[in-house]
Amino acid sequence: MLDKLINLFPEPARPYVLPILAIVIVLNVNLGVCSYLILLERKLSAWMQDRHGPNRVGPWGLLQPLADMGKLLLKEDVIPGHVNKVLFVLAPGISVFTTFLAFAVVPFGPVPSNLTPGDGQFPFIIAPGVDLGIVFIFAIGSLAVYGIILGGWASNNKYSALGCLRASAQVVSYEIPLGMSVVGLAMLNSSMSIEKIMTNQVEQGFIGWNIWYQPLACVIFFIAAMAEAQRLPFDLAECEQELIGGWHTEYSAMKWGLFFLAEYTHVITISFLTSILFFGGWHFPFIAEATSNYTGATAVKVAVLLTKVFAVIVVIQMLRWTIPRFRFDQLMGLAWKGLIPLATVNVLLVMIVKQFDLHTLWLFPLSIAAFVAAGLMATQSSRPFATKAKPIVEEHGHHVHAH
Amino acid sequence: MKNGALLIPVCLGWLAIFWLLPRAKPRSRILGAIIGLAALLALQATFLPPAGNIVRDGMFYLFSGSAILAATLMITDRNPVYAALWFALTTLSVCGLFLLNSAPFLSAATIIVYAGAIVVTFLFVIMLAQQTANANYDHRAVQPVLASVMSFVMLGALLFALQEWGGIDGKADDVAREGQFVAVDASSKANQFSQPPSSNKTEIGSMRVLGRSLFSDYLYVVELAGTVLLIATIGAIAIAPRRSQGTL
Repeated sequence: MLDKLINLFPEPARPYVLPILAIVIVLNVNLGVCSYLILLERKLSAWMQDRHGPNRVGPWGLLQPLADMGKLLLKEDVIPGHVNKVLFVLAPGISVFTTFLAFAVVPFGPVPSNLTPGDGQFPFIIAPGVDLGIVFIFAIGSLAVYGIILGGWASNNKYSALGCLRASAQVVSYEIPLGMSVVGLAMLNSSMSIEKIMTNQVEQGFIGWNIWYQPLACVIFFIAAMAEAQRLPFDLAECEQELIGGWHTEYSAMKWGLFFLAEYTHVITISFLTSILFFGGWHFPFIAEATSNYTGATAVKVAVLLTKVFAVIVVIQMLRWTIPRFRFDQLMGLAWKGLIPLATVNVLLVMIVKQFDLHTLWLFPLSIAAFVAAGLMATQSSRPFATKAKPIVEEHGHHVHAH
Repeated sequence: MKNGALLIPVCLGWLAIFWLLPRAKPRSRILGAIIGLAALLALQATFLPPAGNIVRDGMFYLFSGSAILAATLMITDRNPVYAALWFALTTLSVCGLFLLNSAPFLSAATIIVYAGAIVVTFLFVIMLAQQTANANYDHRAVQPVLASVMSFVMLGALLFALQEWGGIDGKADDVAREGQFVAVDASSKANQFSQPPSSNKTEIGSMRVLGRSLFSDYLYVVELAGTVLLIATIGAIAIAPRRSQGTL
């Protein structure tokens, strides 16, 4: 079927047909899914808070995203007079551009091995064969903060400036645990290519899922990625209660919408990465194995991967309505005193296991032990990793709490 | 004089930058741009890469052109925030050049470290500092002559060295062999940790080859750099005020 489609095009254009098709599919599905993720988030929050949620537009409020989009597109796009116009307009573009660019190396289905251009297989990834997939995503992700910084600074507004300062400190700090959490994975798989890590897990079956070898890394990766995406427990840059909207206070209509498009795309990318790197990608016991090639197996594999991604997205959205926002010093403490040492310990454990040729499953109890030890240290020490406010009277020998 | 031709682009480049540096009285930017363009054209005679694949050449001119343009704008812009942003663009363009020369890891690492962390920290500091002050000395270069002469002397020395070395395109004796990141010079070859380069052509520039080269050919240098960084870290902790003295 794909051959017929490719043959419709003139000879020199044929190698580009499938990549362009992949790009078109990814972009459009992403745009559509983003708007419905917002509806899902509102419905979930309503369900968790015992409300109804949006239910006026269409059956069960299913047309609400369309109404929202229409509103965003038709609304007056205000550019306040006191802003730096060039950077103000550029910022949402940078946000969207970087988050979509990061998606280029994320596989969204069973990537065929030995993929060569022009052999008629659908690639299931925009840029196949990138040796440094994870590093590429981190590099692009580190550029995403420019959208926030420039937006906040160009707005020429104190709240926006505070938001963007917080965002820059936060993103720079959380990049370190994010990068270090996958070092162990790279060492176990001897590769940084996302496709290769996925293939390795699939070939080993259910026991090959990286969650069994790197549970600690999975937790660190997930937390740090949430912080990079500025999702709620970490949304200090936006922080509606203190900063109105943080860096996007001055934005309206579709420019504001673009920031949110970027945020939701980031959430989708995180969910894809978590399910691919740690939960076996498209592998699921019995129905989607490496050997299964019944009719429609490819569709089932894609469905398995998308189901995992959807589950992670739901977890991220439920976390938003479960955990309150961090205080800024707690946020920094978590990264520098919690996640970074833990990630280092995790890398050390992988090194030990590799060096002494232990069975890699040893990593599971070792990781859990490291996690428990860190938890004990944090709760038992007199000075938990999040710095307490200084007691007012210290020289009398007992603590007088300010509250 | 064999390398005399190098003097023309260096002097022209110096003139362009000197003219463009921010002054109390604004000068014509177009004149500076024309001189700078002349300098680049004069340089092309010596350093033009051999024409090959049209896509690759196009990318090369795109990245190098934007790198030079952004770097010039970075040192000539009056607004420090814009200067930091131009610096970020310079870094990104240079990373594109790295990518063209099959060094993807170097490129990604440079983006993460420079564009992603260091420039962000610069921006952070610049935004916190008073940059709306309209004092005259904030809007002009402090020592334009000394600064530009010094930097162009260094640039001239660099270009001279590059011309003498001839690159890995064949002029020099120590040619990078297949699977090697750069040519290994004689002193590194004597290193007992050095391993024979990989013969696999697809591995050129990959992380495996880079890691092997760093931890065998350049082991001592890597260890030395690590020690220096450790000393710097310890020094930073020693300088930082104690908690009892009150921190930020």
